[in-house]
Amino acid sequence: MRIQEHPILSFERGEKVFFTYNGKKLEGYEGETIAAALHAAGIKVLSHSIEHLKPRGFYCAIGNCSSCFMEVNGEANVRVCVEPLKEGMVVNTQIGKGDLL
Amino acid sequence: MIKTAEVVIIGGGISGSSIAYNLAKKGVKNIVLLEKAYLSSGATGRCGAGIRQQWGTEMNCRIAKLSCDFFERANEELDYEEDIEFKQEGYLLLSSTDKEHQQFIKNVELQNSLGIPSKLLTLEEAKEIVPFLNTEGLVSATYCEKDGHLNPFHATQAYANAAERLGVKIYKFTEVTGILIEQGKIRGVKTTKGNIATNIVVNAAGGYAQLIGKMVKLDLPLYSERHQILVTEPMETILKPMVMSFSLNMYCQQVPHGGVIMGRGDENEPRDFRITSSWQFLDEMTTTVTKLLPPLKNARLLRQWGGLYNMTPDRQPIYGAVDEIEGFYLAVGYSGHGLMFGPATGLLMAEIILQEECTIPIDMLHLNRFRKGELIFEPSVV
Repeated sequence: MRIQEHPILSFERGEKVFFTYNGKKLEGYEGETIAAALHAAGIKVLSHSIEHLKPRGFYCAIGNCSSCFMEVNGEANVRVCVEPLKEGMVVNTQIGKGDLL
Repeated sequence: MIKTAEVVIIGGGISGSSIAYNLAKKGVKNIVLLEKAYLSSGATGRCGAGIRQQWGTEMNCRIAKLSCDFFERANEELDYEEDIEFKQEGYLLLSSTDKEHQQFIKNVELQNSLGIPSKLLTLEEAKEIVPFLNTEGLVSATYCEKDGHLNPFHATQAYANAAERLGVKIYKFTEVTGILIEQGKIRGVKTTKGNIATNIVVNAAGGYAQLIGKMVKLDLPLYSERHQILVTEPMETILKPMVMSFSLNMYCQQVPHGGVIMGRGDENEPRDFRITSSWQFLDEMTTTVTKLLPPLKNARLLRQWGGLYNMTPDRQPIYGAVDEIEGFYLAVGYSGHGLMFGPATGLLMAEIILQEECTIPIDMLHLNRFRKGELIFEPSVV
């Protein structure tokens, strides 16, 4: 679901782009965040808590809370709530705390 | 608040907690530990948490080994229901000059003669331990697999809990505001929560030890130097040992939770007790560490903080009584290695106060060394 009209904000939607989420082809719009595109596609579980592996979703939306860490184009711990979506991005659910190597 | 005590210990860090526990274990009753904030709120909880035995003098090797051996069995010995998180995954010390390399050769020989299993490594061997180490500009390394790091909050809490079970009374958020002396003898302490009569006071106040000294008109040869640390967000474990370089002025380790902790000091810091954070540290630290450990370029920082090294002129602690003030004892001036000496500090100070023979001879660490000009040279400190 996307908000089409808003009393205060206006949306300048970019080109439609395609990306993959855990191997599945999804669409979104250039200029929106990865999290926005995932949310619009109905994907609300973005990561899992480190100790108890409980699902974690969209939370602070400003890159602060670490609730949306995903692996993007092979890079771990990407905050998808602030990362702009681009054509061809490979977005995967991250297992564990993220590996630098 | 209690009105009288056999012993009053000032400072709720690893040293004060360890001294309290060791005195109580030796049968001393009515011990009071005073802490102006919460346990580990000073240098103990702000430090890099390294535990190393790779020292350059026999005395320091012995103190460090005794402490390291204790930390190995601390959970059981202190009957701690949690975990001090002592990870013995080694200390990798790096040399950058031939002079430093020559010193490393001597150090390893000394350490091995005292039962410390350190090894001199080539840079290729060092890379087997940390494969992504950038060896450019380095000469050699030493490694001791029994060294490591722990959680300073848990270690202090373990001592404090064990001490309390033995009857020690710990008063947190209780600041010492004065010390009462009569005819050169300790008579009591004044605190923000009331006065306590006592004949024995132990100064274990870490970065604030010289201020406690001033309360008995003692001008201790101490100053406090801010050191800063930063930590990254938690990541999968990539770094097992503590990596340290004296000439690059840095150390770096990854805690069990996954955050990478790193720090360095600056001897030109103003000596004004500040523990704020600076951007200069952030810049220097990240530049140094990403050159030495390049994968950290992609790590994200969480926060940085500062703490105080309590420095002596020879960067060795001061242990012992004070000749001119009966009942006043010093366990101060660790110059950056108070946590790793914690278990020895407690045992040795308890032995000194009870006039027992010391497990390790530490007469030369008495305050009088500065009066006689007998400073101790330790070649391996950051």
